[in-house]
Amino acid sequence: MARTPFRVEILTPEGEVFNEEVEMLSTRTAVGSLGVLANHTPLLGMLEPTELRLYRSETEIVRFAQGEGYIQVGENRALVLVEDAIRPEDLDAADLQDKLRNATAEVEAAETGTEAQRRALRDQRRWQAFLAVAGGSPE
Amino acid sequence: MSQRDVKQRIDAVKNIRKITSAMQMVAAARLRRAEQRIAALRPYAGAIRRMTRQAAAAAGGEIQSMPILQEHEAENTIGILLVTGDRGLAGAFNSQIIRAGLRAAADYEAEGKSVVFYASGRRGVSSLVFRKIDPAGQYVGFTDRPSYANAREIAEDLVAAFVDGQVDRVEVFYNGYVSPLTQEVRREVLLPLQRATIDDAIAEAEAESTPEEDAKQALVEYEPDPDVILQRLVPDYVEISVFRALLESTASEHGARMTAMRSASDNAGEVITDLTLEMNRARQAEITQEIMEVVAGAESLT
Repeated sequence: MARTPFRVEILTPEGEVFNEEVEMLSTRTAVGSLGVLANHTPLLGMLEPTELRLYRSETEIVRFAQGEGYIQVGENRALVLVEDAIRPEDLDAADLQDKLRNATAEVEAAETGTEAQRRALRDQRRWQAFLAVAGGSPE
Repeated sequence: MSQRDVKQRIDAVKNIRKITSAMQMVAAARLRRAEQRIAALRPYAGAIRRMTRQAAAAAGGEIQSMPILQEHEAENTIGILLVTGDRGLAGAFNSQIIRAGLRAAADYEAEGKSVVFYASGRRGVSSLVFRKIDPAGQYVGFTDRPSYANAREIAEDLVAAFVDGQVDRVEVFYNGYVSPLTQEVRREVLLPLQRATIDDAIAEAEAESTPEEDAKQALVEYEPDPDVILQRLVPDYVEISVFRALLESTASEHGARMTAMRSASDNAGEVITDLTLEMNRARQAEITQEIMEVVAGAESLT
């Protein structure tokens, strides 16, 4: 049975990448996995890098590699504000592997408790998540 | 110069004009795209402002003291970020940034402070290296079309250097985009992030909102707590500021190149006119010479 659709808008600093009615949105906040259906209660969430899935129907799913960001749900619409929203086919697994390797090296090189280390950990999480969306596995 | 030399020079200048007017057209097309990208950032920045306001209100209105908002007690080391282009041929575009940055550095050094340079764009990097200055961060290869990831990398380096105490203040120098014909050198303080930046953002979002919206916000769920969300929203302003500087610099670069190439093409036109005159004169002189020789020859026969 088809579910009630609601509007989802995805905005990045480089412009709008998606603005359509969908039946369900699935992503991950700092607290855990999040699924949004129509008429969801108002929410402001902080998003972590993951695969963002938009269900046009049960079988038709639009996927994005989603960077850090925020989600605002209210009035039967959802606004997803993220640093990156990249279609899986535009991801370059080899490039991501390089970036992940660099970030991992930086995590190890940085001193514990420094901002440099926190930043390297964020990079590492992002490239890990993107690599998973690209279908590659970390070496 | 002989007639043939002049002819060759005219051809050479015509070729140069072809190149400069092609570059002018390419720059004009890229300028349009760069302008669109500045416009594309606005809705995102606006939404970040609204969320900041909402999270700040829910967190009790007070933004906690965060390391990036804190002024360092002694500002001994100043970080200077120069935003330039990867290529030249754009008039004073690159040199005015480098000059402004070096002048500011000289002022700081006169006060007994030390300066650390960061440079985006090959032109900035190479002119620092030429002056035997080793930049703490070099970011090249994207100035034609900077992505947010480029801005994030620069901003994260600067924030880490600031928070970990390698620098006590960071300023950015870039070409602000006023119009296709006008760029102005802008100097802004990136770190410590000015509290006023956040306050202005909240005030701006306040002005756009309606009481109904505010009433609804009381029922909003937060995931995680609003103060945690705020802790991440605030550093985003540094990234957005760097991204805006990169985008404006790119638009300015294309504008400057367009203007520089237009005057180069105009100049080439003038040179061609002058040379054509000169060629005609040379040809005329040759003809006159030949007539005189014929006449002299005829006279000697009579």
